Amino acid sequence: MSVLDTIKEIVVEELAVDPDEVTDDASFIDDLGADSLDIVELVMAFEEEFDLEIPDEDAESIATVNDAVEYINENA
Amino acid sequence: MLKTELCTSLGIEYPILQGGMAWIATGELAAAVSNAGGLGIIGAGNAPAEVVRAEIEKTKELTDQPYGVNVMLLSPHVDQVMEVVYEEKVPVITTGAGNPGKYIEKLKEVGTKVIPVVASVALAKRMARMEVEALIAEGTEAGGHIGELTTMALVPQIVDAVDVPVIAAGGIGDGRGFAAALTLGAQGIQVGTRFVCAEECTVHPNYKQAIIKARDRDAVVTARSTGHPVRNLKNRLTRKLSKLENSQEVDKERLEELCVGSLRKAAREGDVKEGSVMAGQVAGMVEREETAAEIIDSLLAEANEILKEKAKLL
Repeated sequence: MSVLDTIKEIVVEELAVDPDEVTDDASFIDDLGADSLDIVELVMAFEEEFDLEIPDEDAESIATVNDAVEYINENA
Repeated sequence: MLKTELCTSLGIEYPILQGGMAWIATGELAAAVSNAGGLGIIGAGNAPAEVVRAEIEKTKELTDQPYGVNVMLLSPHVDQVMEVVYEEKVPVITTGAGNPGKYIEKLKEVGTKVIPVVASVALAKRMARMEVEALIAEGTEAGGHIGELTTMALVPQIVDAVDVPVIAAGGIGDGRGFAAALTLGAQGIQVGTRFVCAEECTVHPNYKQAIIKARDRDAVVTARSTGHPVRNLKNRLTRKLSKLENSQEVDKERLEELCVGSLRKAAREGDVKEGSVMAGQVAGMVEREETAAEIIDSLLAEANEILKEKAKLL
């Protein structure tokens, strides 16, 4: 499965949203209704799935599905 | 007497922390709690750095015991407040509204112990990865800005998830709550609302009276729609807020307008009708003004008694 598909799957699971809503440029907070604690859970799930540690400074810059894909591609 | 490892690591007599409530917890209250064997904590809130420094200096004049500062990470002055913390070598800080990660290294250098407040397991795990001294697991029963889970459900889940000591907060107003927190796996408690009514607390007398008069259902949650829910005592302000929130189109600007400065209005000016009287669900249990030492003594005596008594059930 591609990084994009894996990330979308995690987002659907963690935020309990419909797969159709999770577009490439969907913002976790503005479009998918996440709050700050949801974001922490999402970041922890990315860490687990891709076996890396995402520092807080970086976590703050991950706002959309695309951001996450880009970050994983560069760092995992 | 009731002791846990937390007492040793923080250099305090009893595992009781006083919540660092913005606009309420000044140097007088913090020093009184520390002198009584607990950990008194100054609430920095949104205050400028020099105001925080003055409170720290006042505390140091009034006590030789360890004390703390609660640093609100969303404060516009947070960087300068941290500078003051480094310079004054504050023994302990508790942090709320964010992640203290970028300050941890410097804090360690000056010997300040860090205790973040958390309201979820994921955040607790993330914080525990850094070198924090302990975590405060705060349930939704607490006053002020709150999370979703109750203390009863949150504390054991966090205790299971991390290796650092956990301090329970939210809904603890007497020795029964203290004993319950220890049973849930916490090594200590943080008490806010009851300490607001300490004699040494410099909050406006109207604020204390509002808590003393409050009944069980009076501490209501407002501003849920903003994503930053707040627990405060029912009054003209909370009614206005819930009316706004229940309307079809929430006027966020008006909501914000009503909330800005509302805690200061209640805590310092004594306007407990239009101001925000932040308090936890235990407000209904607080019946009178007492000294900080009396509060700590009764928390300890009751918890001791209960734990002894319950052991007989075995």
